[in-house]
Amino acid sequence: MLKLARFPRSQIIARSPLRQVDPRVRLAISLGASLAVMLPLQRLLLFLAFYVMLLLWARLTRPALQQIWRLKWVLLILFIIDWFVVSLDLAIIVTLRVLLLTGSFAFLVHTTTPGELRLVLEWLCVPHRYAFSLSLAFQSVTLLTEEWRAIQEAQRARGAWQPPRWAGWRGLPAQLREMLALTVPAIVLTTRRAWALTESAHARGFDAPHRRSFRQLMMAWTDWLLLAFVACVIVFVVFYF
Amino acid sequence: MSRYFSTFQLVLLALFAALVVVAKIALKLPLQLSGHSGIFWMALIVVAAGIVPKPGAASLVGLTSGILAAFLGLGDFGALNTFLSYTVIGIGTDLALLLLRDLENLTVAALVGAIGHFGKFLVKWGLGALTGAPVGFVALGLTKAMIGYIVFGAIGGVLGALTLRALRRAGFFVYLAEKR
Repeated sequence: MLKLARFPRSQIIARSPLRQVDPRVRLAISLGASLAVMLPLQRLLLFLAFYVMLLLWARLTRPALQQIWRLKWVLLILFIIDWFVVSLDLAIIVTLRVLLLTGSFAFLVHTTTPGELRLVLEWLCVPHRYAFSLSLAFQSVTLLTEEWRAIQEAQRARGAWQPPRWAGWRGLPAQLREMLALTVPAIVLTTRRAWALTESAHARGFDAPHRRSFRQLMMAWTDWLLLAFVACVIVFVVFYF
Repeated sequence: MSRYFSTFQLVLLALFAALVVVAKIALKLPLQLSGHSGIFWMALIVVAAGIVPKPGAASLVGLTSGILAAFLGLGDFGALNTFLSYTVIGIGTDLALLLLRDLENLTVAALVGAIGHFGKFLVKWGLGALTGAPVGFVALGLTKAMIGYIVFGAIGGVLGALTLRALRRAGFFVYLAEKR
């Protein structure tokens, strides 16, 4: 049976205090957390304690717990296998590392809007044309989802496509041909949209020399403070603990 | 100043990346096998590489769809795994395309799809190894998934080649030539 999944809801937690922080600091925190997975057990536990406190402060515990819940069986099986085959120590450290790796970018993805991401990418010297196209892709997901559903309904009404069902490997070539009824119009419509967007961007002076973003990133003293605090914690955990 | 990708090509590739994510969200096949979403995924990446025939096009689609998917919360293993999986698939496809060029040939497209989608296995294996789990166990645990990635990647590649052929027959490339 065809499942039309819900449209992806915005993941942004608007009430998170991290929303007030410069997006570059959020990126730095996420990168720091992802690098911490290589720490040995004792230091990893200390870092995890700090990480959980940061999650609590940032009001991101709910999405983090949801992510862990989706992984519950994998974590359980991983833990049991590692425990029985190798040792309890390894089982604990591997499980904790997977947990940290899974949630390390929660600080960025749940608090950063596409516009802020574009500014961060431009600050990272990513060409503005690419940053713009990425931002455009974010804004087009809703439209493309609607178009994709419209294509599905239209082709189904014409009898050109049926919701995919598993009819064995022998039925696969016929199903692939049916899927063309979805992919071809989707590609043509996407190309037309891309052309319209490009024309519209050029008409607004997109390729003009000396262009500057309307919004600029500015580090406030609180951003520096948070960055320094996180850096101090990481240095302490890695070198002094 | 001549640019590697024109603005139109960049926008087109970005929208293809969005389409990859949309296909992943909106269309689920009734298969309980890991990697089956790669059918549409690889088809769209192969089509993108066929429409913008420059090295790096597939990587760009992979990178962009990786960022999109990570920010939309796709994938069970968190944003980093999602981002790397999509990106490596794009890079793998581009690497395969350095050797195999004729994307409208079904065999070539199947190979490109399989190689590209195999990248997802490498990411899972790499991240598994990074956590300190014994490399052999990780590989063993992912064997079934690896077969799924290769098979569904190849099927996706074939679907991509069939789409490119259908687009050529419909005069899409003539239409596109006017837009470049």
